[in-house]
Order: sequence, then C-alpha cells, then structure tokens
Amino acid sequence: MNRKTLLNVGVPLLSLVLLLLLWQGIVVVFHVAPYIAPRPMAAIRSVTDNWSTLWPLVLGTIRETVYGFACGAVLGLTLGAVMAKVGFLQRLVYPVLVLSQAVPTIALAAPLVLILGFGVGPKVVIVAWIVFFPVAVNVLDGLSHVDQDLVNLARVYGAPRWRTFVHIEVPASATPIFTGLKIGATYAVGGAIIGEFLGSEGASLAIFQEHANANFNTAAVYGTTMLMTVIGISWFLLVIGLETLATPWQRRSVARRYRWRR
Amino acid sequence: MGKTFGETAALAPVTLDVADGSFVAVVGPSGCGKSTLFNVIAGLLEPDEGEVRVAGVDVTGTTGHVGYMLQKDLLVPWRTVEDNITMAARLTRGVTPEDRAEARRVASGYGLGEFLRHYPSALSGGMRQRVALMRTLVTHQPLLLLDEPFGALDAQTRLEMQQWLLQVWRETGRTVLFITHDVDESIFLSDRILVMSPRPGRVVADLGNDLPRPRDLGTLVEPQFVTLKARIMSLLHEDLS
Amino acid sequence: MKLSRVRIGILAGSLVLGTVALSGGGASAKALTNVTFAYDFPGPDFELVPLVVAQDRGYFAQAGLKVKIVFPPNTSTTTKMLALGSADIGMLTTSDMVIAVNAGAPVLSVANYSMHNNWGLFALPGTSLNASTLKATLKGKRIFSYGDTWTESMLPFVLRYAGLSTSQVKVVTDPTGYDLTFLLAHKVDVSTNTTNYELPGWAGSNKPGHLSELLGTKVGAPDVPIWTYAVTRGYASAHGATIRAFLSAVKKATIWAAKNPAAAAGEFDMAYPKSGYTDAYNKLGWSLTVPILTNASGQYFTQTSAQWTTLARALKGIKLITNVKPPGVYYTNSYQP
Repeated sequence: MNRKTLLNVGVPLLSLVLLLLLWQGIVVVFHVAPYIAPRPMAAIRSVTDNWSTLWPLVLGTIRETVYGFACGAVLGLTLGAVMAKVGFLQRLVYPVLVLSQAVPTIALAAPLVLILGFGVGPKVVIVAWIVFFPVAVNVLDGLSHVDQDLVNLARVYGAPRWRTFVHIEVPASATPIFTGLKIGATYAVGGAIIGEFLGSEGASLAIFQEHANANFNTAAVYGTTMLMTVIGISWFLLVIGLETLATPWQRRSVARRYRWRR
Repeated sequence: MGKTFGETAALAPVTLDVADGSFVAVVGPSGCGKSTLFNVIAGLLEPDEGEVRVAGVDVTGTTGHVGYMLQKDLLVPWRTVEDNITMAARLTRGVTPEDRAEARRVASGYGLGEFLRHYPSALSGGMRQRVALMRTLVTHQPLLLLDEPFGALDAQTRLEMQQWLLQVWRETGRTVLFITHDVDESIFLSDRILVMSPRPGRVVADLGNDLPRPRDLGTLVEPQFVTLKARIMSLLHEDLS
Repeated sequence: MKLSRVRIGILAGSLVLGTVALSGGGASAKALTNVTFAYDFPGPDFELVPLVVAQDRGYFAQAGLKVKIVFPPNTSTTTKMLALGSADIGMLTTSDMVIAVNAGAPVLSVANYSMHNNWGLFALPGTSLNASTLKATLKGKRIFSYGDTWTESMLPFVLRYAGLSTSQVKVVTDPTGYDLTFLLAHKVDVSTNTTNYELPGWAGSNKPGHLSELLGTKVGAPDVPIWTYAVTRGYASAHGATIRAFLSAVKKATIWAAKNPAAAAGEFDMAYPKSGYTDAYNKLGWSLTVPILTNASGQYFTQTSAQWTTLARALKGIKLITNVKPPGVYYTNSYQP
C-alpha cells in the first residue's frame, strides 16, 4: 500500500513540477515580457502575497461550488431515479434534459442575474445546472442495468418495491452514480467562476482576476487561474474520497468492524 | 402440502402433489419448462389456468412463500456474508438482532463462521453457494426451490455440496424441489424424480426413488441406482434414439 | 474603455473585425502606408466617428495612409495588441495607459482623444443624486461597476467625498452586462458610466423622465481626460512621420465632425450599419461627446504633464501602481500637428 500510494501521489506531483519547469524555461529562453506571461514563481507569489485578500474569495467560490453541487446532485439523483422507474416520464423528460445542456453557460447567466440578482443565487443555479445532467444520466443508466435475477429474487422473498429499490437497485448502481458525481464535480468549479464573472456583489475570485487582467497584473491572472484549478482538483478528490468511504467492498475483502451496526 | 397447476405458454398442464419433507428432483433438457414451473410456484409468473397451494393456502401469483436459489448465487457484493444471509429479512420486515444471531449460528454451524465479515468477492464459488443456501434457509420457508444450484461448480465441489445439502435437508426437514440437468445428481439426492420433456414442456414420468438413506459414494454404483438411471436416460433421449 | 453599450442582438464579447475600405481621393498612384488601428472596445460605436470621417472624407488618403480598423476581443486587450505588434496605433483609457507603462509595457500616449472627465453616477428618475446628500444616497446601496480600471480609479474619490468606506456600500461588478438593464430591473440602485454613453442609452429605453446624473468631477474626482491615442515607443521611433500624418488626418476629421455632428454621426451609421446601435443613439452620443473634446483654450489633442501626474498619483493612492513616473514617460505631444 505504501509503495502504491507513493506512486499514485508522487508521479502526478512530478509531472506538475516538470510542467512548471517547462513554463519557466519558455519564459526565460524566449525573453517573454512579464506583462505577457509571468514566471511561475511570480504567479505563485501573487497568490501567497495576497492570501489575506484571496482567502475569503476562495471560501466564497467553494461555498457556491458546494451548494450548487449538492443541489445538482440531489436533482440529478431524483430525476435519474424517477426516469428509471416511470417509463413515459423518461421519454418525456430525457430530451429536455439533453436540450438543457446545449444552452451555453454564459447565455444562461445573463437572465439568471436579472432574476436572482448578484448574490450567490445565480452561481448556485449554474453549478447545479452543470452537475445534474451527468448525475441523472448515470443514475438512469445504473438503475436500468441492475441484474434482473437479483430483482426477481427479491420479489420471491416478497419484498415490496421500495425496499428492493433501496437495498438492491441503488447499491447495485453505486459505480455509475459515483461516475456521474465525479464528472459533475470536475465541472462544478468552472461553473461557479462563470457565474461570478457575470455578476458579483462585492469581491469574488473571478472579479479579482478580471481586475488583475485590466490592471496588467499578469502574474495575478495566472496565479488566480492556478488557484481555481487547485480548488477544482480538491473538490474532485473530495468526491473520490466520498466514494472510497461509501463503497468499501470495492477495495477490501473484509469489512471494518463498526460496533454501532450490531 | 400439495400443488396443483394449470398451464402457461411454456408448460403444458401439470398437476403435482408434493409430500411434506420430501426431496423431489426435476430432470429434463433445456426448454422443457422446469424453470417456468418454478417461477409459477414462486409466484413470479401467473399460470393461465389453475392454482398453487402451499400447506393448503392458495398462493397463486403471490410471492414470499418459498425459498429460492439459482445457479447464480446472487450474493450482493456490497454486503458482508452475514448481511447477505439476513437479506430476506432486510427486504421484508427489517433485520432484528435475532436474525443476526441466527445468521451467525447457521454460518458457524456449517463451517463459515470465520467469514461472516468477509465480502462475497473473497469467497470461492462453493462457499458462495453455501452462503446462498443459508440465506434461503433462514427464511424458514417450508418449501425450497433450488434451480440447478451446483451447475456452475466443478465436479469435486459439486459432490461436497450435494452431501452437505443432504445433511442440511436431514437436519431441517424442509420440502425441497430440485432442478438439475445431471441425472446422477437427481437420483443421488431425491425421493422422487419428475422427468420433463420439451415441445411442449410437460412431465413425462413421475418416478419413485427409495434408495436407502443415508446415501454415500457407494450409492452411485448400486444396481438400483443404475437401473433408475437407465430408465431416466431412455425417457430423456427418446427422440434421439 | 467604454462603459456602456446598447446591446441589440449582439452577444457579449463577440469579436467584430471591421475593415473600412478606403474611398479613393485623387487618382494618385503614390503607395499608401498601411496603419492598423485598434479601438478600445470589441465593437464599433460613435466614439469611432473621427476615424470614420477621416476615412470617408479622404483625409487618410491625403495624408498617404491606408488605415485598417480592428477591434480587440475584450476591453483589456488593446494595450497588449500594441505591445505585441498586432496594432500600430490604438485608443486606450488613460488609466490603462498609466498601469501598462508602470507594468513595463512600452506604450506612449501621443494625443488626448477627449479633454474632460465625463464619468459620473446615474440613477432612476425617482432617486435624487446630489453632492450634498451623497452619503445618505449611497450608504448601503448597490453601486454598479463594469470592473474596469477607470471606474475602479474614480469610485474611491466619490466614496471619500461621501465619507463612506467600501464596506459601507455594495459594489456590484459585471464586466459583460449592461448597467441600464440592471438599473431598470432594480437590481442595482446607482450606476456608473460616462455621460455620452449613458444618456443615449436612457433615451433609447423609452422610459419617461430624465435619468438622475451626478458628474464625478463634482464629487471629488479629478478632471482628467479619459481616452487617448497611443503607440509603442518602438513604433514611434521607427514611424514618427506616420504618426504625425495619422494625427493630422484625425484632427482634421475631429474638427469637421465637431462642426457637423449630425452628418458625422450619419457617416458612422453608413460605415457600420450593423453596429447594433440606432442612428438616434449614435447622433445623441456623438453630440454629447463633442463638448468634451476641447480644453479651456479650445485645443484638441494637447496633453499636459499635470493631467498625467494627477492621474498617476490617484492610481498610486488606490494602490493600482506603486510609483508615479515622470510625466514624460507616459506621454508626448511631439507628434501632433
């Protein structure tokens, strides 16, 4: 386990370091002016130097991401389950869902701001909009492909349909459900940033970057981009962590002892 | 108890009376309607005509009155062995501490006590079928329907499982309906053998089997065994010879 | 930096590349010098009138120039286009100029586009905007900003005059929105813009009454020019004559357009029929721009050291730059006719 962890963590870190070195190399060798592209250290330092300003903005973006993701996940899970169980609703709703994703996020934000104002509302809606679709599709997929023999067995036992759903169909769909959540998690932060950019009250991470851009502070532009990326990756890793906690049987052969369950 | 059936599309009219505590084997090639028969008894299918009665009660088209086991063990990978054994309770009225205690007892009694907290992926095929049978046993249904439960196991494991099944049947006194392709298996295990034939699916023979119990490997070469086997084989391969 | 736009059917941030064909003057076979001019906004609007007039009335051709007008993808890219050489001459806000120079970009202002600061606060007819009651009017209110440097530079003056700190107001930022829409939807209480853009926008909304207006200069903002023509130092040393020719043509055009505002606006409409702005909007906008093009002595273009030093000091005060450079670093008048 130790060597494996070392590889899993070490190799990505190594490629990251190599990327930064390449960046540094390009800037130095081609004498790129600092207002066109900064050196990596300048970008990083712009974040660390301004940390006291940036930290509340980061928290704001995280808050929007988490709320939006929660709403999107719940909506996606519900829609996916309803579509799986009610055939005609699936035929009715599925095309509308696909259409919803064809709307570009930026076009979505403008009317949202007019309706919901400049607070956290539009950002949460945008993130939920982005997240719910992959979740719904994967939930539908998972629930449609549960082993029918298992479902029949439950029927033979005399199980009511809701118990079969909760104890058989949902756990059987764990893998696709988490796939949907992971996909949603990847795009969630980007949605929050777009929402912030298209209307923020007070300061936000996107507006901070916009100001930096207008003020020729290219180091800060790159730095905030790196910051946003870190937030996005962290959220993704968190969802993976959630999956690891929720699906112990995929990694272990013996269950942990939980006294509270007995 | 008794069972009377009507017909479904895959099965010609069948009338069947099964005595309490007996072990009935059902032998036949594919398409002879054996699984359909089981599905009607279990309540998964409604017969076009006729009824199913268990212990005098009409249970046609309803579920929850038989134990049921397939060739696939159908253990859920996300639950431990113990939780798999208590699955029927979880799916109906909820799991009680008594259910859990019984699961532990049954598992320990049949040699799987150390594996209670293992996930099914850690068990061999034979062990998994044992867990599946335990799951079926703890439902306390008087009638057990076993549809080729050992079909996917290797010959060695199959023999062990057959002997183990006989031991369990002896100890619990349930009524067992057992589907198999394997003629040897059908004779080895049962008191009574129903031979079925396809096109249309129907029972062509109802044979008694009074080979003495307890049975062991020696039973397999007894003259009575061989006679019965020849009889069944000729019935099964009538259209071929 | 343009602060307001009427968006009729135009998606925000779309790149519009306009090429205005040169209408030939005389039958001269002289080779024309190519000049690429970058506007400060992603699409054409009435502040482009002097250049349109210079094209249409042949002033560029007479000066031996063939000018191609390009538009940046967003409002903060013109400076970079100059620095990278994708444009020769550009129009910038003076605040962007100062910040670019301080960041090391070798840009140089060669002429003022306009002379006065016509930026201000705006509110719906019901709300009164007065210098004397400013604190009460602004406290706790939502103030709209486009997030651009000019607004960022001017707002602190206003807040200081009103005796308010930034935490006592809610500054709402949307770089791609349109401030009047939010004002009319009551999503913001006070908007910020320049008069020549805001008033035509209000007129175009067909709402009754007059927009409440308070000029920034009345509440502490310095009266310094907003827009300027700029080049890179490298271009200036290599093509000084071209810059001179360009500025003389544009000055001629500006003077003519100032004397004939309606006709000038009409020429813009014809050059850019798909600009997205109505003829009435362009006419009103240009006529509101004319008064701010000249200084107290009636001069066009002439820059002063005082304007640059004042602006730089203001920017340093709000920490957008770290030091005030000598004014000669920011500008020169030596290419003007």
